[in-house]
Formats: sequence, structure tokens, C-alpha cells
Amino acid sequence: MRKNIILIMTTAVLFFASLGFVFGEPDFDKMLEEIDELGSFEDSDFSCVYTFVSEKPGEETEVTQARMFRRDANEQFVMLILKPEYQKGQGYLKVDDNVWFYDPESRKFTHSSMKENVQNSEARNSDMDGLSLAEDYEVDSWETGKLGNFDSYILTLEALNNEVTYPRLKIWVRTDATIVLKEEDYSLSDRLMRTTYFPKYVKVGDKYVPSQILIVDNLQEGEKTQLTMKNPSTAELPDSVFSKAYIERVNN
Amino acid sequence: MAAIIGIKMRDVKIAFRNLTRQKKRTILLAAAIAFGIYIITMINGFTGSFIENVSENFSNLLAGHIFIEGVEKSESGRTLSLVRNDDILMDAIEDNEVPWKYITKRSDMNATLIFEGETAQQTVTGADWDQEEYFKERIILTQGTFEDLQAERQGIIISEKVAEKINVEIGDRLLVKCRTYTGQQNVGEFVMTGMLVDSSLFGGSTAYANISYVNELLNLKPGEYMSMGIYLEDPDMIDETAENLYEDLKTRVSMFERNTGDDDENPIIAMLEQEDEEEWEGLRFRFMTLNDIMKEVQQIVDVLNTAALIILLVLFGIIMVGVTNTFRMVLMERTKEIGTMRAVGMQRGIVRKLFLYEAFFIAVIGVAVGLILAGITMLILMQINWGLDTPAFMLMKNGYMTFKMPVWQIFLNFGIVSILTLFAAFFPSNKAAKLQPADALRSTK
Repeated sequence: MRKNIILIMTTAVLFFASLGFVFGEPDFDKMLEEIDELGSFEDSDFSCVYTFVSEKPGEETEVTQARMFRRDANEQFVMLILKPEYQKGQGYLKVDDNVWFYDPESRKFTHSSMKENVQNSEARNSDMDGLSLAEDYEVDSWETGKLGNFDSYILTLEALNNEVTYPRLKIWVRTDATIVLKEEDYSLSDRLMRTTYFPKYVKVGDKYVPSQILIVDNLQEGEKTQLTMKNPSTAELPDSVFSKAYIERVNN
Repeated sequence: MAAIIGIKMRDVKIAFRNLTRQKKRTILLAAAIAFGIYIITMINGFTGSFIENVSENFSNLLAGHIFIEGVEKSESGRTLSLVRNDDILMDAIEDNEVPWKYITKRSDMNATLIFEGETAQQTVTGADWDQEEYFKERIILTQGTFEDLQAERQGIIISEKVAEKINVEIGDRLLVKCRTYTGQQNVGEFVMTGMLVDSSLFGGSTAYANISYVNELLNLKPGEYMSMGIYLEDPDMIDETAENLYEDLKTRVSMFERNTGDDDENPIIAMLEQEDEEEWEGLRFRFMTLNDIMKEVQQIVDVLNTAALIILLVLFGIIMVGVTNTFRMVLMERTKEIGTMRAVGMQRGIVRKLFLYEAFFIAVIGVAVGLILAGITMLILMQINWGLDTPAFMLMKNGYMTFKMPVWQIFLNFGIVSILTLFAAFFPSNKAAKLQPADALRSTK
């Protein structure tokens, strides 16, 4: 009798343990780290050209082109505006937590922030930089769902500090690969502010980088920006690129 | 009295009579001097009230004469603006017996107002409107009242132009996109409860709301705020009160330096730069006064006053050339007369005096007429309501021009004009005094 009880209990423990293995929640902390790693170039520099196509109701479509240089290992980036012509020469420089904006007309640098929008688009400076989801957020809840043809984990992330741009995020991550398909950004008052779609990725080295991004403003109906990335490269960049002098010099 | 100071009424009468002999010429000379005095009085009067009006308008719009702002360094090194607990500040104000009329506590945020697809950038100022009676009197509302704003926690008052731009009306709910005090994105809803007259400088960019809701959007707790304004009973007490309070606060809390030692540098900018330049942690306070803010305005006034003085000198330089020429003509016309008077015993000094008295009388008449005309013009201009939607609003008092000129300034201008006129007339009068009676009588001019 006693043996039977032990056998039944052992079987039950093994059964529930196996259920946990099959249906248990994935390691989301690790998933966030993987997402950060996939979008960050810690071992090499990264450069590309972004084209922003911004649409606003009642206004003409605005096209902005910018060349991007990133050195994630040092938390540095430089973004130079190439188009439109009247904004050519403007540039952003990020060194550690400081972001500077250069205006060639005044020939002056002014303080900016990662939370500022890039030119007149819906994209923010932080969208151009490497991700730090694991550091800034924790998974509050999760569910599974389908986005298009892809099975996805839908993760609700809560900010770990009160200085990140969005206090709450919702991200759709493919179940078969750690790739983010969609992101919803919520305000402190829990209002949906912005939805970002990542329909296309391109492999650069051993990283996956979104080559097409669609950002929709959920507060101002009809406002959206489409980003297209071209000419990605992980070639080493000179140290001098990540300096104010370079931004001043490059268009003169 | 006249005898005591060596002026004989007989000479004065003769000089006055001489003036009336050539009325047109006297009038023209006096008119030239009057014109100069008129211009300089208008400029002095305007600049005299300029600083006062600008200071008053700023003190009303900024809600105080002395301002204290809390600045906190977050763990990540970000600079945050807030005052969490003002017990120490209030104790210092009480211990120093600061003669305050109002103490205001405000929170401000840069926000985007959104209504049916239209947007407007605004600085939304949150205040406890029960404590800001004087401010409510200064702001002119075309629709709604401050009572409506206070009755609706999420109420907002915006300018007519902004309301027109985003097509919003009283009672409409509009979205507001802003950032918390730590920089996080936040969204709220305001209900439009009032519309204010656009004063161009601030009205177009500032909206007013209740501090409780602004704090909620900024993620500040009830009772917290961003800046304290101390509105003194007497604006002349600003510097003295501020100095005492600042020195006392330095012994109680960490303060940013007020005096950077560089007189040319704007004290506000210098204080803001300290945040970046200096290594510091925890909580610090910025302390500034309306006079600090007005420093550059005062420089403008100084420039205007200097320009006015230069204009005065140039204008009177020209007028004095006219005076000299006129008196030379007078000398030529009266040569025989002077010869006759000298022949019957008039002393040289009296001849000189007669000319100088005439010049002085012209100066007095000119100054008096100039001052009267300037006074009349000022009175007329002061009656005109220029409205509050003019860019010159800050220079006026509730849309009306005001003029202020200290009495010493009037006497100074009168003294300068008198001396210059006497100087201009001195050489012809000296020449007249030196005429030999026989030569003068023989003169054919």
C-alpha cells in the first residue's frame, strides 16, 4: 500500500513536472536579453542609411534621409541628415547619455535627448539606437497569439525605472525566433501612444536588423512614418566619426 | 529777491521787451528748443516707465519677485525639477520675516494639445488659483472664468489664437501629450473652461490649468511642485530681501551660486550652466529674482537713456548753432542801439546780461512749451487702449502706455538746455559788450 502511494505520488510529480516543461512559461528575461543582443552591435561598428517617409493629414509627405553610424560598445551614435536639402548638414551625436543636435546654419550644438523625435517624423532618436529592454523593463504578463502568419508571444513589459520614454510596452515576439514583429508604446496613464511594426528584417553579420519599420501615431490619427534601412555595414569606423568636429566638418 | 542775486528787474524787463520786438524769431528759437525738449521728455518718460511696466508684467506673469526652484539629481544623473518638501523654504521665509504678499507654487510642462487632428505646442502652467488672486485680475478672459477652471479639475484656459488654431470651444475635451518630470511620455485630457486674450508674448504659448491635474500628468505627488514665487509687498525690496533670504538658505540647504563673478554674464544662464559644469548630487535649489531676469531689460533701458542723451546733445548742438547765429544777427541789428545805450552810461556787463537774459528766457519758454506739449501728448497716449494683443504689451500697463519721469530728470534737462543756450549766446553777447560806443554809433549795419 505504502509502495503504491509512493508510486502514485512519484508518477503525479513527474506528470506535473512534465506538464510544466511542456506548457511552462519561457524564460522571458533571457528572451529580452536576446532581443537586445540581436539589435545591438557590441562587437563591431554599424552603419546604414535610413529613409523616413512621414505622412501627416493635410500636409505633404515628407522624406528625410539620414546616414547612421553606431558604436554600441561605447554607447555612441552619429546621425547625419542627407535630405531634404534644407536640412542637409544637420546632425545628432550621442555620447553616453548626452545627445547633441547640430544646426549648420547657426553652427551650434544644442542639447537634445534620446526621447526627441527625429526631425518631423514619428521616430525617436532612441529608435535608432541599440535596445536595452532587459535592462529597462520586466515582463509583467504574457500570452500567445498570432500576428499575420506568425505565432507570437505577446509580452506586456513594465518599466523598471521612471526615466524610460514609455512606462509600458507590449511586444509581439515570434515563437520560432527571437524577433520582434510589433510594439505598442503606452503612456503613464496607460494610453496607447504609438504602434511600431517591423515587417522586414535583414541579417547583418550575425544580427537581425529591421530593414523596414512602420510607426503609427495612435494619438494623432493619420500620422505615420515609414523607415527603410539601406546599405547596412559592420565595417570598422574611425574614432573621429563620433565627435562634434566630424559633424561640423563632414558637410563643409 | 532779484536784487539779492544781482538781477535788476529793469534789465529783465528790457531783455523781455527785446524778445517781443522780434516775435517770429523768438517763437522760432523757442520752438526749436521746445522740439528738442519734447523729444527728450517723451523718450525719458517712456524709458522711465519701461522698466517698471516690464518688471510688473513679468512679476505678474511669472508669479513673483523672488523665485526658488528645486533641482534634484536622479540616480542615473538626470536633472529633475521639483520641490518635494518646502518646509525648510517656508521656515527660512518666516525666520527672515520676508515681507511677502503672495507665495505661489507652480508646476509647468511643455505639452502638445491635440483636438480633432489639430495640434498646438503650449506651456501649461498649473497653479492653485485660490492663492493667485492678483494673477486672476491680470489675465483677461474673453470666455469662461477662473471659477469654471477651479470647478473642473481637468480644466484648462488657453488663448484665443490657440483655440482658433485647434478649433476648440468651451466644454470641448482635448488630448494633451506631455512628459512626466522624469521624462516619461504621458497623455491626459483637458476640458476647455476658458479663453484668454492673447498677449502675444506669453498668451500665445501659455495655457493655465489646475496644479493638481498638472502634477498628475507630471507624475508629481500632491503638494509637490516645481517652482516657488514670492510676490513681495514692495518691489523695491527685491534685492535686499533676496540677499538675506539667499544667505540664510545657504546655511540650511544646498544652493546654486547666484553670483558667478562675471558681471557681463546673465545670472540666470550662469546658474543653469552650473548644473552641467559642476559635480553635485542630491537636491539643490536655484534662486533668482525678477531683477536678475530684468538685468538685460535694464541694459536696454540704459542704452535707450544713453541714446536719448546723445540725441539731446546732437539736437541741441544744432539748435545752439541757430541760437548763436540768431544772436549774431541781433547784435548786428542792435549795434547802433547798443552804442546809444553805452553812450548814455550803460555798463558793458549790463549789455552782456541783456543778451544772456534774452537767451535764458528763450530757453525757459522753449523748455516750458516742450514740457507742456510732451505732457499733453503723454496724456493723450495714456488714454488710448492699445489692446493686449500687441507685441508691445509687455511695455504697457494693462494695454495702456504709461510715462514716468523723475523731477530731477526734468531739472537736469532744463539745466543742460539753459547752459547750452547761454553758452551759445555768450560769444555774441560778449562781442556786444565789447563794442565801443563811438564805433557802434558810427556803424552803418
